[in-house]
Amino acid sequence: MLRMEGIDKSYGAVRANRAIDLRVEAGRIVGLLGENGSGKTTLMNVLFGMVRADAGRITFRGRPLHPTSPREAIAAGIGMIHQHFMLVPAMSVTENVMLGWKEVGVWLRPGIVAEQIRAAGRAWGLEVDPDAVVGDLPLGRQQRVEILKAVLRGAELLILDEPTSNLSPPEVAALLDFLRRFRDEGRAVVFISHKLGEVLDLCDEVVVLRDGETVGARPVAGASRADLAHLMVGRDVGASAAWAPRAAGAEVLLVADLHGRDAAGVERLRGVSFSVREGEILAIAGVDGNGQAELVEALGGLVPPSAGRIHVDGADLTTEGIGARLSAGVAHVPADRASTGLVGEMTLAENLALRDVGRPPFRRGPWLDAAATRAVARERMGRFGILAAGLDAPARTLSGGNQQKVILAREIGRRPRLLLAAQPTRGLDPGATRFVIEQVLALRDAGAAVLYVSTELEEVLAVADRIGVMCGGRLVGMMWRDEADLGRIGLMMAGALDETPDAERLYGVRG
Amino acid sequence: MTAGVLDAVLGGLAGQRALRHLGLALLGIALALAAAALLVLSSGRNPLVAYASLAAGALGSWDRIAVALNKATPYLLTGAGVALCFRARVMNIGGEGQIALGGLGATAVAMMLPETAAPLLVALALAAGAAAGAAWAGLAAVIRLGRGVHEVLVTLLLNFVGVLVVSEALHGDLGEPGAGFPQSPMLVRAAWLPKLVPGTDLHVGILIAVAAVAVCHAVLWRTPFGFRLRVLGASETAAAYAGVSKARTFFAVMAVAGGLAGVAGAIDVLGVHYRLIDGFSHGFGFAALSIALIGGLNPIGVLPAGLFFGFLEAGALAMQRAVGVPSPLVAVIQGLTMVFILAAMALPGRRGAQ
Repeated sequence: MLRMEGIDKSYGAVRANRAIDLRVEAGRIVGLLGENGSGKTTLMNVLFGMVRADAGRITFRGRPLHPTSPREAIAAGIGMIHQHFMLVPAMSVTENVMLGWKEVGVWLRPGIVAEQIRAAGRAWGLEVDPDAVVGDLPLGRQQRVEILKAVLRGAELLILDEPTSNLSPPEVAALLDFLRRFRDEGRAVVFISHKLGEVLDLCDEVVVLRDGETVGARPVAGASRADLAHLMVGRDVGASAAWAPRAAGAEVLLVADLHGRDAAGVERLRGVSFSVREGEILAIAGVDGNGQAELVEALGGLVPPSAGRIHVDGADLTTEGIGARLSAGVAHVPADRASTGLVGEMTLAENLALRDVGRPPFRRGPWLDAAATRAVARERMGRFGILAAGLDAPARTLSGGNQQKVILAREIGRRPRLLLAAQPTRGLDPGATRFVIEQVLALRDAGAAVLYVSTELEEVLAVADRIGVMCGGRLVGMMWRDEADLGRIGLMMAGALDETPDAERLYGVRG
Repeated sequence: MTAGVLDAVLGGLAGQRALRHLGLALLGIALALAAAALLVLSSGRNPLVAYASLAAGALGSWDRIAVALNKATPYLLTGAGVALCFRARVMNIGGEGQIALGGLGATAVAMMLPETAAPLLVALALAAGAAAGAAWAGLAAVIRLGRGVHEVLVTLLLNFVGVLVVSEALHGDLGEPGAGFPQSPMLVRAAWLPKLVPGTDLHVGILIAVAAVAVCHAVLWRTPFGFRLRVLGASETAAAYAGVSKARTFFAVMAVAGGLAGVAGAIDVLGVHYRLIDGFSHGFGFAALSIALIGGLNPIGVLPAGLFFGFLEAGALAMQRAVGVPSPLVAVIQGLTMVFILAAMALPGRRGAQ
């Protein structure tokens, strides 16, 4: 169905794609794998007409295709679901589907389009209310709208870029079901993901990119997770980083009966109490949207809790702002790295100083100390292996993994007492994930307390000294590392098991 | 003026790419002059002759240069403040009202303390102008932060109120009895701004303005406060995470910009008219917006942009006298310059992707 041959694309001195070949047959799902910055996104942008290749040929359904805009790619029968949805949040589902759709004609007939949305939704198992306002829909539903847009425009080939990173497990299962049906209708899918489990489960074959080149193409049957990881990274990625037992020390963070609401006023955090100690990682597992985000935001000082108390080293920080938290040694890696953790338009050096410009060494008297700022930035770049064009490169030009390294370098580089890490590896490739985990473990080994929130169970098991499970805004379970039991944690995450944890586990005192 | 324009400008200004912007600005000026030349041609006159008389009127003699620098002074002060505001994505379009209040404050002090010795009275009057302008902008900030009314609306509407407050004062206690026009009596000589170059009209205001521009530049790029302004302008969520208080920063930058506009108003009263005149602030506030944008929202860029506007206006009347081209043509040139520069900035530099 699709054949891309010898695709070349350079950005300045960076060769994002070098002679890449990609073939996708009808009735197949191809996984496109590669670390952050390996050229996957560039390749797909070339195919979708968002970027012009320097060289190479594309044939799609037997005809040459060199789209100069997404419109041409869509007309040819290609649909792309971006990681960040291209929807207008203030408009309804129907309006979003009509937007830029040629077949709508001169007069808008929302009734007819709404009926088409319902029909396609039923046919494909993608039901969504056509009258709902997109911004009010959960992310899983918004993704359905994106898929319906593509399907209604007659897509024969769907490209999905990291489609599962914001979905809960049931939503993921539904998406994978849909993609299989789509394939079985004789169409084709390109599935870009770092989640090797999903790739093994869904794809028929995989193509692996590294440093802008194709380094492997193979059928999935018979492949193991380790095979794929090895192909992607070009070296063996150990299953779990080096966690070693370590005695926990004094209590650093104490949370008492914390409640919190989201922006819409819905109570998302319903009475959470626990503590985290020196040299200890408390990992919080749970399906996204069960209060973890509100917990970290309240602890980090972004959103004040509606009730309860937060103590760090005995000092009550409940009503204090970010400044007091920074002074108390609280570091925070936010879940939303691109728009909260970094300022995309500002430089790498500025981002490394983002939360500390009021303090030495970044400030000297009333002035910013540019020389010290650059010296610190240079040191952090080296220590954390941040790859960027230079200290003055805008943060948005860095790859996802390097952006996360910038945040870690800033937060860990401050030598915190307490690190709050929310989904620190989301969207990262195995190499970058491993790096993040190693840094967090090193910080814990050095005596800091860490609260680590993740929806990836494997990761939780790899880093945790204690594991808490959140469901419905409450801690429904808390266990020591050596008590961890996947079955039980799974039941708790799904809301099927609620053990009220005992004080010993909540506060980390082993009797 | 919409947030979209600001997005385009801030987006085009990632980092401090001053040189690229300077190129765009020169291109914009050239295109604006070319477009205005067509207008002159269409009225049957020679644009080269018109521009020559414009240049002669602005730069032809020390006297003309002095006039041009005096005209540029309020633009530099107000434009630098607006640039700081816009950097923080604070849409302060209240320059006109802040200038008006600044002039009122300076006049009130000069009239209340006529016995004070010269340098002290000037300093007090300038300070009063700054305080009045800052208070007027601060009022807008309080309404914005307390009531949630968008600052574009608040500052725009307070312009009308501010101008009317001046008018009201001139019809009352500050007015000159028996004058046919709402204006204050001539201020005592001790309140006049000293001349910078004896024998010309050039007063020390230009020094204050250039110093203010330099300080604003240093503040924006070299202090933690300026850093916070830039973070707030780039991303409100990142600013919250970085511990930047939106309310405090918003209030502070408004007060600074209002204070600078107030000084501009005070200088216009103390240095040019020697009295407060109804409607003296007309048009300054909006010209300052153009200047801030043409200057790339960079205080240092406001310097050439403000001087350019000042020279255009100084030459406008000479051009009208010499060639018969109506002086409002320079307003057309000013407007077109802004439009062309904004259009050029919205052209994306090629965005690097992964």
